[in-house]
Amino acid sequence: MKISNYLACPECDLLLQRVFPAVNEKAHCPRCHYLLHRPRIQSITRTFALSLAGLFLLLPANLLPIVSIKILENTHDGTLLSGSVTLFNEGMWAVAVVVFLASIFFPMLSIILSLLISGHLYFHRPNRYLSVWLRTLQHIDEWAMLEVYLLGIIVACVKLASMAELKFGLGLTAFVLLLWVALMLASNFDSVLFWQRIEQLNVHEKK
Amino acid sequence: MKKNNTALAQGLMRCHECGKLAQIRSTAPPICTRCGSHLHARLPHSFQRTLALLLSGFALYIPANLFPIMTVTKLGVGEPHTILGGIVALIHSDMLPIAMLVLVASILVPLLKLLGLSLLLLCVHFRWQVNAKLWTRLYRIIAFVGRWSMLDIFMISILVSLVNLGGVAQVIAGSAATAFAAVVVLTMFAAKSFDPRLIWDVQND
Repeated sequence: MKISNYLACPECDLLLQRVFPAVNEKAHCPRCHYLLHRPRIQSITRTFALSLAGLFLLLPANLLPIVSIKILENTHDGTLLSGSVTLFNEGMWAVAVVVFLASIFFPMLSIILSLLISGHLYFHRPNRYLSVWLRTLQHIDEWAMLEVYLLGIIVACVKLASMAELKFGLGLTAFVLLLWVALMLASNFDSVLFWQRIEQLNVHEKK
Repeated sequence: MKKNNTALAQGLMRCHECGKLAQIRSTAPPICTRCGSHLHARLPHSFQRTLALLLSGFALYIPANLFPIMTVTKLGVGEPHTILGGIVALIHSDMLPIAMLVLVASILVPLLKLLGLSLLLLCVHFRWQVNAKLWTRLYRIIAFVGRWSMLDIFMISILVSLVNLGGVAQVIAGSAATAFAAVVVLTMFAAKSFDPRLIWDVQND
């Protein structure tokens, strides 16, 4: 029995013959229906292009005002960063850190790691940190919560709409674009392929 | 017991990080040859870790719901809101859809996670014979919805930074915000440390 011809389902441990689904086909575990593999068209190229686009959106999305509020002739801008800064200054440092990590740090790190990994794979450059980067990327994935944050913006705006005048800024556009890039990255990402390529590159380098 | 169709029964283990199979006991320190991470047939101490995180989550769920999550000050008059109070206020101001959204994200989802994970742990501990496919689906739902509870925390962080005009109008985050954020983070870690393969391991057929 050759081990590389088999795979195990991560959620029910069923041992399976390796399957090679075509692009846009799905391979499910027959026992627990876990999605084992869904190959995407040009996963590496698209990840590279999308993370490059995300890189340019990071600064405007984080620093430009998302919403401005006007109460009694006082105008106040809210950026992605100002929420955690205000919380921190009010002494709610634990909440501030969680908000900062989930809305700024992890989305940023995941774009940068995607760029590093896909860039190395796209140009066939081996790097001994590739697997560390991909492992980190897989772990922080669920902690980047841009889409939840967008829902938070919507709820906050609905709450404020009755008592104040709201104006949406350029930051919101950048933020929504960044969210779109993050979602596209997630749906184009083919971890099976990425791990295979990393293994090939590393084996090649050792020879 | 016929369960010889699992990787574990065949003396194999799957790398948690990259999915590569390896033979159990084949290398002295079990390290994945592809990605360099430590290998285990099951997530190490999955039951104990999940239980510890879950109990902490239950404990913090109480202050998260009893204490005010934010205080809204208008013209010097402060009005503290609990999570439930905030939802009631939304209903009174005729914003029912948003109220339902907050109800689902801040009350139902954390409860579903705490109770669902408890059920999963009970199932594994008492070796309940269940429809494992259905219970694995329960686990997937718990793992998926967890992050959406952060909605309330994000909303507060936006309100706090926007409504910041001293005595005229100000929103201040309350102590329940810390407890609630901790519940969300703890239950996310709990879901992550639970190994769904344990459900399949305890089934006899």
